[in-house]
Amino acid sequence: MQLSIFFIRAAVILVFIFILTGYGAAWGAVGCDLNDPDRDVARLFPESTGYKTIYTSVSQKGGDRLLTKIEKRLGDKFHGIYETIDVPYTIYEIFAKKKVGYIHGVNQKGQFGGIQVFLVLDLDGRIKAFYIQKITSQYAGKLRDAKFGKQFVGLTLKDFDHYDVLSGKASGKVEAIKNPAPQAEADFRAALRATKKNLILMDEFVYSQQSASSNPGVP
Amino acid sequence: MITNFQVAYKNLLRKKVRSLLTIIGIALSAWVLVSLLGFNHGYETALNRDIDNMGFQLMIMAKGCPYEAATMMLKGGTGFRYMKGSVMEDIAKEPEVEKVTPILMQAVFDPNKGESGGIAGYFGVDPKSFVEMKTFLKFRQGHWFADENAYEAVMGYEAAELEQREVGDIILMPEKNIQFKVVGILNRTGTQDDGTIFVPLKTIQKIFKKEGEITTVGIKLRKDANSARLEAKLYNLPNVQVVSLAQVKETIMKLISTAKVMVLSIAIIAILIAMVGVINTILMSVHERFQEIGILKTIGAMPWDIFKLIWTETLILCSSGGILGIVLALILSRISDVVIRSILPYAPSGGLVLIDIKLALITFIAILCIGLLSGLYPAWKAGRIRPLEAIRNETGR
Amino acid sequence: MNANAVSLEAISLTKVYVRGSEEIKAVNDVSLRINKGDFISIIGPSGSGKTTLVNLLGCLENPTAGELSLGSKSIFGRAKYLSERDLTKIRRETFGYIFQNFYLIPTLTVMENVMLPLTFYRKPGTENETLRLLQLLGMDHRKDHLPAQISGGEMQRVAIARAMVNMPEILLADEPTGNLDTKRSAEIVHVLRELNRDVHLTVIMVTHNQELARQADRLFEMRDGLISELKGQDRSDRCLQPLSP
Repeated sequence: MQLSIFFIRAAVILVFIFILTGYGAAWGAVGCDLNDPDRDVARLFPESTGYKTIYTSVSQKGGDRLLTKIEKRLGDKFHGIYETIDVPYTIYEIFAKKKVGYIHGVNQKGQFGGIQVFLVLDLDGRIKAFYIQKITSQYAGKLRDAKFGKQFVGLTLKDFDHYDVLSGKASGKVEAIKNPAPQAEADFRAALRATKKNLILMDEFVYSQQSASSNPGVP
Repeated sequence: MITNFQVAYKNLLRKKVRSLLTIIGIALSAWVLVSLLGFNHGYETALNRDIDNMGFQLMIMAKGCPYEAATMMLKGGTGFRYMKGSVMEDIAKEPEVEKVTPILMQAVFDPNKGESGGIAGYFGVDPKSFVEMKTFLKFRQGHWFADENAYEAVMGYEAAELEQREVGDIILMPEKNIQFKVVGILNRTGTQDDGTIFVPLKTIQKIFKKEGEITTVGIKLRKDANSARLEAKLYNLPNVQVVSLAQVKETIMKLISTAKVMVLSIAIIAILIAMVGVINTILMSVHERFQEIGILKTIGAMPWDIFKLIWTETLILCSSGGILGIVLALILSRISDVVIRSILPYAPSGGLVLIDIKLALITFIAILCIGLLSGLYPAWKAGRIRPLEAIRNETGR
Repeated sequence: MNANAVSLEAISLTKVYVRGSEEIKAVNDVSLRINKGDFISIIGPSGSGKTTLVNLLGCLENPTAGELSLGSKSIFGRAKYLSERDLTKIRRETFGYIFQNFYLIPTLTVMENVMLPLTFYRKPGTENETLRLLQLLGMDHRKDHLPAQISGGEMQRVAIARAMVNMPEILLADEPTGNLDTKRSAEIVHVLRELNRDVHLTVIMVTHNQELARQADRLFEMRDGLISELKGQDRSDRCLQPLSP
């Protein structure tokens, strides 16, 4: 009798381990990871001494309710068969002795292929660097040029509050961002949408959690 | 009446920790064994599936390294040389051949894929014959291109996902800066087709100025055709090499056979260690029950009865450990899959560790047989105990 | 001669042990006749050979010389050595054993201990008397207890029940009260007496306890491997004298 009780307990523990190890093994939407994190983190965040990788998704963080909130903030719905609630997002927490910032990428539909837009952010959500890891376009070189990316440095989510992703109408600092390839207007607007989406997701996944934990009384 | 089994089972409960540790030892060795056998079975099944999903059993390619070329084919890479399309017509005449299809693989360098760029590959296929060979390919959206000269593309599931493409979208071929309209997106197949972009053969021949040239001919054999005879004929064709996917499979299986032998050796060693543990446990148990066994003989137990009793204890330990090990292997097969996949140079898609009822049963019987063999000596020793010596002897010497 | 049938007859039984260069005659040319239904006690100092004699009578080992018959059947005859297997066959047909240390199986309940011999052998023609035996010995209310949960006296009763489950003809009791207090000892011997009387069981008891020994119908004394039956005044006198070491 005691042996059978032991076996039942052991079986329960084993099933639990299986669930834990099986969890998160996605056979679904594609995420956006750095191709070579060791190399890319060092390049994008030169002062870093290390990094930690965290995986999350909208479905995990809040489900449909969160998705609705994000879409409202973005001013656009999540599109098509790839921009879904279960897309995995990879957040790289960057350390230089202590946490100093984040790197986060999102996939965005471009004119001729997927665009992968990475933002390097400080602890206040300010853009330190802008990086397009992948883009398919004749004018890809111009959009991946450092000069173009520099225009994003120092911007925050607040700057994108009034950027309309659907019409492309901008104001303030976002309006000042120049398109280096007017023939690739669709990809330029896609990069801006990706940036805004990236900032909103980081705000929902990270920054709002931080402020909630430091101000527990504030809803 | 109390049974032999009940007496044996209760004896094992006397030293619960010792019995449990012995069972765990056997379970671990059973886990290794069944995972390994499951891997053997699963790898071959997955490889066969990958090869079957290619739609053809033989490939003809321009002369080069066959194994590298074949492996790259399986991984969706490109061939190295070209052959005339007329080769295909000659091959189609052979009696063993049911269908043929020409393929031209081409690649371009995309400098905007990551920091150091990457290769973008395209499969030029004949919309009629290729589709006839790959009837099992199903569409998530859209359909095949009908016009053999169209600038249209069908994308594998993962290729479309990476490019965020849907039917109606445009893709751009880097380097050539040519646009294709996406007319179809395939369902996930678990093969290299998932990462492939298919375009019409004539279109890609025109773009790369390879009119009339191809890299590969896919051949589907008639049922019951003699593959070896056809291969022998095809070897005589000039400047081409024959890649039999059965040979590819054999080569890949040979490549991993060393790994299999090594892991099988480890599994056998693990089993032997577990069995030594069984012998030790049972011998200690006999030693501790020396007097008791003597008493059993005075109350009517024959040497064979004692032998059976001790052997039954071995049976209980081995069967418990065997079952636990098999259950462990089933639950943790996904982890085993990930570990194996990270080690092997080529791993077919789909599950690599395939454990079915037959395999589980074979492992269980193997563990049981080895276990019962281990129990022979302690059981024989116990059967030989003389009652009077045992009763006189307090310490079991 | 007793009018009852002869149960056991030993003729010139001898057992010699060799220790190094020394030969020890534990049992020296012992002859005795035990009738069916006899209750026999064997007393004697330590090392007198009583246990060895009982082991020979109970077919627990082969004698060095001599003969033993069970009824009309010869067991140990001239130059006849029996294998352990053969001895076991004889034992389980004819004998039941109880010992000073009870030797119950600790992981089995009282009921299971008593039934244990039936796992190996059930005498043809007998029924499963387990419960009846336990009732007879006053242990049926403890049938689901483990040996660790019952007293010494109760353990010996269980041992007696186990010895009796296959309805033996002869019960051998080697110091059955050795680990019991006076009261329990008396109870055990009383149980043996009742079995002897009620089912005509032949009982051969080895004991140090002269008080208990006197309760037997026949009393034997062993000294230095030699046996003698004590009768009449000898029996009373001997039982009052302390046994010399």
